Amino acid sequence: MNFITIITMLIVLGIIWGGMVFFLTRAIKYEKIKEENGQSEN
Amino acid sequence: MKQEEFFSSRWSLIIAAIGIAVGTGNIWRFSRIVAQNGGGSFLIPWVIFLLVWSVPLIIAEFAIGKSTRYGPVGAIAKTAGKQFGWMGAFIVFVSTAIMFYYSVVTGWCLRYFISAITGDLFSTTKHLEYWTRFASSYQPLFYHFISMVFVAIVIYRGVSKGIEKVTKFMVPSLLVILLILFVRAVTLPKAIEGIKYFFTPHMDVILNYKVWLNALTQNAWDTGAGWGLILTYAIYMKKKEDISLNAALIGFGNNSVSLLAGITIFSTVFALSTSNAMQQISQAGPANTGLTFIYLPLLFSKISSHYIVNVIFASMFFIALFFAAITSLMSMVELTTRTLIDFGIKRGKAIILVASLGFLLGIPSAIDLNFLTNQDWVWGVGLIISGAFISFSIIRYGVDKFRTEIINGYGSDVKIGKWYNFIIGILIPIQVVLLVSWWLISSVSWDPEWWNPFHSANAGTCIFQWAVVLITFILLNKMMVNQTLKEND
Repeated sequence: MNFITIITMLIVLGIIWGGMVFFLTRAIKYEKIKEENGQSEN
Repeated sequence: MKQEEFFSSRWSLIIAAIGIAVGTGNIWRFSRIVAQNGGGSFLIPWVIFLLVWSVPLIIAEFAIGKSTRYGPVGAIAKTAGKQFGWMGAFIVFVSTAIMFYYSVVTGWCLRYFISAITGDLFSTTKHLEYWTRFASSYQPLFYHFISMVFVAIVIYRGVSKGIEKVTKFMVPSLLVILLILFVRAVTLPKAIEGIKYFFTPHMDVILNYKVWLNALTQNAWDTGAGWGLILTYAIYMKKKEDISLNAALIGFGNNSVSLLAGITIFSTVFALSTSNAMQQISQAGPANTGLTFIYLPLLFSKISSHYIVNVIFASMFFIALFFAAITSLMSMVELTTRTLIDFGIKRGKAIILVASLGFLLGIPSAIDLNFLTNQDWVWGVGLIISGAFISFSIIRYGVDKFRTEIINGYGSDVKIGKWYNFIIGILIPIQVVLLVSWWLISSVSWDPEWWNPFHSANAGTCIFQWAVVLITFILLNKMMVNQTLKEND
């Protein structure tokens, strides 16, 4: 695999899979805060 | 009408919305489009358009659905003004027209799963013949019926007992199956060749505007952004739920699945294909199903020397495809059902009406692939117009007001900055004009009689069918909007 392929792979996977993991961890964090604050209204 | 049903938690909502976004397009269309557009060269604009088309429109849909608690007709009337309710009706119609033939496609996946698990799929090596025999029989009609009945039962049970329960099982199962297939595929000998092609960019290709337009189209079609489906599920989200973070998670989650499926398919095809692997991935085949229903079954028979292992992997692939399809189909049926509920029809009656019409109007696609191709073309491009209508309604409402009061309002975990105004107010309209013009102008090159509305895929058939639908809804606007708002106020 050449250099440009590895860089592209890192960028694409980094943004998409990395982004997904990032947003997921943020969502878990904020959900925990909401639960602790007892927000339950509809 | 007081909103009484909700998704039980944030995670239920996210899983259901990922069920909308992840469909057959992530699995069979994505790989084909990557192959046709130079592998890695396609992935770069594809990532960019996730950020400037899909995620902003998913945010918009969540915000409109959550704030208005209406299906698209009432939601657009409330957001853009009563005189624009017909835009919401167009959004509903486009997704409903797609639902008619998507139920047929879902049925194909179910049929191939049954073929795989019973071993019937491996009784032949002539998979094109196998497919043609199936497609020209009445079997697609039967499986279309089964799919529609299954979805009708789920939607009849409502959000928490129906949609939520089924997606909670199917979406995680789909992800686990794809992960298992991914691990098997990347560990096949020569799989690295497929991965190399998948990620290698070519500078001459990346500068081609068609690659960019294809990347935008892929994002518009496979994330579910602008279809009105996420808007419909957002009606059932609790007031305390966040919008932006959930939308980003769904957009990135959807494209993550596309990558997973793409790497799996490229690795498998490059590892097991004895002829030109690229040709096999990029050929559309009948109704764009060539890769999935003709070439992959052949490759599954070569995964290992043990017959049972091949049966297991093929069955896993087709059940994953079925789960992806049916969770998307559910959202389309719910969208139409919810619109009828807004008109004052009870859920039970609405679902019987939608499922019956869905089955009947899906029959032409089940028995004639040309009809399916026509509908896929007309309403696929029509989806871009749906995205434009959502963007338009926010512009009418006031983009900054929409962002600060609704998106960043109660329940928001993160605040969206002013960049959103630029994307919704300027970039989305530009992308719509570019995409619709490009697709219609392109059709002139492949059909000399581009104006003929009775051809399967050209500008004439699109404009004719859109015009009929738009004129009808513009004429019915007052009645539809009054009925929706009267029933619910």
